[in-house]
Amino acid sequence: MSVATPGPPSGLKPMSVTPPLREYIARLWQRREFAMSMAAGEFHAKNAAMSLGGWWHLLNPLLQLGIYWLIFGVLLGVDRGVVNFIGFLAAGIFIFQYSQRSITGGASSISKNLSLIRSLQFPRALLPISAVLREALTLRVALLVAATILLLTREWLTVAWLAVIPVLVLQSMFNLGGALIAARLADKVRDIENVLPFVFRLLFYASGVLFLADRYIPDLADPALEQTFRTLFIINPLYSFLSLVRHYTLLTISQDHVDLMWLSAVVWSVGLLIIGLVFFRAGEATYGRG
Amino acid sequence: MSNNVTLRLDDVHVTYRVFEERRPSLKDLAANRFRRAAYREIHAVRGVSLTAQEGEVIGVIGGNGAGKSTLLRAIAGLIPPTSGAVYAVSQPSLLGVGAALQPSVSGRRNIELGCLALGMSRKDLAERFEDIVAFAGLADHIDLPLRTYSTGMRARLHFAIATSIEPELLLIDEALSVGDSEFRKRSRKRIEELRERAGTVLIVSHNLRTLSRMCSRVLWIEEGQLVKDGDADDVLDAYRASGDGDDD
Repeated sequence: MSVATPGPPSGLKPMSVTPPLREYIARLWQRREFAMSMAAGEFHAKNAAMSLGGWWHLLNPLLQLGIYWLIFGVLLGVDRGVVNFIGFLAAGIFIFQYSQRSITGGASSISKNLSLIRSLQFPRALLPISAVLREALTLRVALLVAATILLLTREWLTVAWLAVIPVLVLQSMFNLGGALIAARLADKVRDIENVLPFVFRLLFYASGVLFLADRYIPDLADPALEQTFRTLFIINPLYSFLSLVRHYTLLTISQDHVDLMWLSAVVWSVGLLIIGLVFFRAGEATYGRG
Repeated sequence: MSNNVTLRLDDVHVTYRVFEERRPSLKDLAANRFRRAAYREIHAVRGVSLTAQEGEVIGVIGGNGAGKSTLLRAIAGLIPPTSGAVYAVSQPSLLGVGAALQPSVSGRRNIELGCLALGMSRKDLAERFEDIVAFAGLADHIDLPLRTYSTGMRARLHFAIATSIEPELLLIDEALSVGDSEFRKRSRKRIEELRERAGTVLIVSHNLRTLSRMCSRVLWIEEGQLVKDGDADDVLDAYRASGDGDDD
């Protein structure tokens, strides 16, 4: 607003495409039911056309776990230093996939809902938010599968399991930040949607989803190099999230540097969420306009 | 009529860039040294100022490409004005043509998601759901996916959703023209209700008879500028006299 323009008449407020951040968040909160309804709808619709219907939410994680266990545990034998390999996988794979699916889902959330964007006015961040909520619903089922497997493989339900809750809260914040950033980038350059699967394939191997990083790092002869690798793993938020979950749920796994992992998790989650909100809101006027 | 202002535009200009139809590939970008080369700047709205009061139904006329739709989009906060300012009592609802909501899901789901997206609570939604279905006249089709609907049925549903939140400012961009006469009667009644509840309605239309029946005031826009703003019949007569009106 320039000095020359007279102020608004009483009771009127300036219409702006990008409201202040506080106002933007208030609008999102007011419409939270939309994000939840959208997420639940997509979650249920996903397998609605299948003969086994909702059972696929359960079968999917079971089959995935079975295949990774067969190939990496039984055939290739990368289960070095891990007593309960199937429990180890169960506590890692689904945590990793929660981030992977949230962020790739965020990237396609705008392009999948173009007609909705063009017909109604609502804060566009609701779309990546509902993509993350949808994946949280998927994770809920997968965690039930994982917990069952842990208990079947003679892990004990201990108070330490409660520590998983703050880890998941932090991870959800991280995922939302990532989904918001991916959504804006993919709206500008659709190619991002094709690149992301490769990024996550690389991260999958770099996050120790299938192997215990602590057991592989000491093989390096040079201590300085070893330290660099440890630091790199802990800086990787996905490694920190899933290592923390393993640390608190598996009796046979005790990770080093748990405090640094918490630090990494907190810094990434808070940082990425704030950056994501600011970055996404700055593009509010451009979504769905090419 | 009370004199409470619901909308004010101060010298609003809107300029936007229109790019070539498809997005440039990396090769095109490299060839143009990473500047998007082929675009045109369209100065669609050139200095429009106006004040609207509660209880006004205002028609907007002008030839194709006069800047009517762009003006409504700027008022709704969908495009930023290049200069000038828009002030409003609350977020306006804009109804355009060809809006598809969510084509692959049922009418019922579209009503749910649409109303929630506009900020309605679950409780209000439950209370108003039957009214919305009845108003859209879609009782038999409510569980069918939207893509099976006719253009008119979709427009009816969209109108029913957008007006269910009882906006103080309703902007209608040609959205009434696709409905049948029965629906037009109902939508006129709804607009009248909004007006009586101290709302303000802006209607872009090429149907001058509809405008003269519904509006107290008409804005005539050509090339992004206000040519005339005043009593509906005066402006419509002037527009007809200019030979642009297709009054049928």
